[in-house]
Amino acid sequence: MSTTESELERFLIHEARLLDERRFREWMELFADDGTYWVPAVPDQNSPFDQASLFYDDRDLMKTRIERLEHPRIHVQTPPSRTAHLLGNTVVESADDAKGEYVVASTFIMVEYRDEQQRIFAGRAHHHLRREAGRLRIVRKRVDLINCDSAFEAMAVPI
Amino acid sequence: MRNRNGGDISSLIEPGRVHRDVYTDPPLFELEMERIFGRAWLYVGHASQVSAPGDFITTELGRQPVIMVRHRDGTIHVLLNRCTHRGAKVINERKGNAPRLTCCYHGWSFDTDGRLAGVPVPEGRAADFDQGAFGLAHAPRVAEYRGFVFASLAEDGLSFEDHLGPMKRNIDDLVDRAPDGELALDAGMHRYVYAGNWKLQVENVLDSYHVPFGHASTVNRQGVQFARREGDRKGATVVETEKKQTAASWKERKSYIAGNGHGWTSNTALDDGKRSSPAYDEYKRALAEKVGAARAQEILTPRLHNSLIYPNMSIMGLNIHVRVIKPLAVDRTEVTIYPIRLVGAPAAMNSGNIRLLNVTHSAASFVQTDDLESFVRAQKGLRSRLTEWVDISRGLGEEEPDRELNATRALATHEMVVRAQYKAWLGYMHQA
Repeated sequence: MSTTESELERFLIHEARLLDERRFREWMELFADDGTYWVPAVPDQNSPFDQASLFYDDRDLMKTRIERLEHPRIHVQTPPSRTAHLLGNTVVESADDAKGEYVVASTFIMVEYRDEQQRIFAGRAHHHLRREAGRLRIVRKRVDLINCDSAFEAMAVPI
Repeated sequence: MRNRNGGDISSLIEPGRVHRDVYTDPPLFELEMERIFGRAWLYVGHASQVSAPGDFITTELGRQPVIMVRHRDGTIHVLLNRCTHRGAKVINERKGNAPRLTCCYHGWSFDTDGRLAGVPVPEGRAADFDQGAFGLAHAPRVAEYRGFVFASLAEDGLSFEDHLGPMKRNIDDLVDRAPDGELALDAGMHRYVYAGNWKLQVENVLDSYHVPFGHASTVNRQGVQFARREGDRKGATVVETEKKQTAASWKERKSYIAGNGHGWTSNTALDDGKRSSPAYDEYKRALAEKVGAARAQEILTPRLHNSLIYPNMSIMGLNIHVRVIKPLAVDRTEVTIYPIRLVGAPAAMNSGNIRLLNVTHSAASFVQTDDLESFVRAQKGLRSRLTEWVDISRGLGEEEPDRELNATRALATHEMVVRAQYKAWLGYMHQA
């Protein structure tokens, strides 16, 4: 089954929308069982295993993170963040229809508003996708923020 | 603004309370930069960050920009990052390696021990120009203990030995856990800022009182925080859910002080006999091979947990890391977290700690973010002028001596450690 560029792009737009609508459980379900979500803490970081990262969640950690986001006393989300993602410049870096595996690069801007403050995150994302039982799932999402090695105020929601 | 003479500053600190001005008053913050950060022994960095000649890191001591650099002869120098010519910051990178430290402006270059090595365009130099007098300024006092490098920006004051005192064993407690007897701070860092005073973070590192409340969102329905360490089956029980109160075992934890504002908290043993995973078991074997089984067991059953080395660093014993607190303004602070790698431990053990710290202490972590929110809200609340005092009276008068540890002991949910910090604070601040 072949996958078109526009289908891959629509998948990315759907993913961003789930985050912006705080539908975190549905967002998590986009990830394959062995899926990971990685936001490095330095540019060109080689590995999440020997260097600190802003996020490196497997499905287990994602679940814990989302349970916390749903907790009534998560102080750093009282009030909650509102976000708007804009993504573009998508490029299909590799496509293997036989295996159903795709790598899509994109550029994004996420604006976050919380507690009278607005801030901007921007960078490039790489989605490694795999078709499982007919549906695309995220095997690996890597988000490289342009300011990944700066000092941040507290972050709570995935980028 | 008040006149900040010694007597007036003393009036800000009472036995069980602290005046709000110590968190909010800009002139008082300027005085702290001069009298605390300009005098005290401050943690600068770790020797493993500058392991080869020419390796450097840059940081600030208070607000003074410094370079910590390894010279050819192996010595570590702490140099003021300010060209002696026209004042430009010499090194702009956070870390790197260079045979010479060269200023971008007119190309003056300095050797890695600070000496001025080259001045371009000799034509025009003053006839009596004394090149030897134009080296980069050194921090007047520098000392190292088992890789931890400290400096004081004052010529005189308490000796390093007297300052660090019993905290040496807290450093030993951590370093001894490495099978090769050394630590490496080479796994990157987490950096965050918050809109609050620096002392809010300092007070928090030994605070066991806040955990069930501040971190309510990380405690599950059974009252247990998520499992944290390689080989642990479950995390610590901090809440008794049926009674909806702080768990008895949590309330029994102790905190300790031993002078100079330093302190630490006790911990349950690192290894209760049940802790096991392939990486952890391999680590235990590696440690026992180096130091013997009996000593290994002793190392894995420590009495120390989080340690504060006042005023600007802590070493955290559970999800092991070094934390450095850097005041930026009266209401703005930067904190850097360095994951610790135990040299000689299996890679999986160290990588487990790195992954754990992402979860507990990255800017996007599950734990530290709620602390940051508490600090920001404290700073906002402290704007209130009608309630002038901050209460730190828990357990006042209930402190007791611990003769074995040569320290003073209290329950960890008491506020003895905070009172000790303000005693040290006043010691620095009341001297003109």
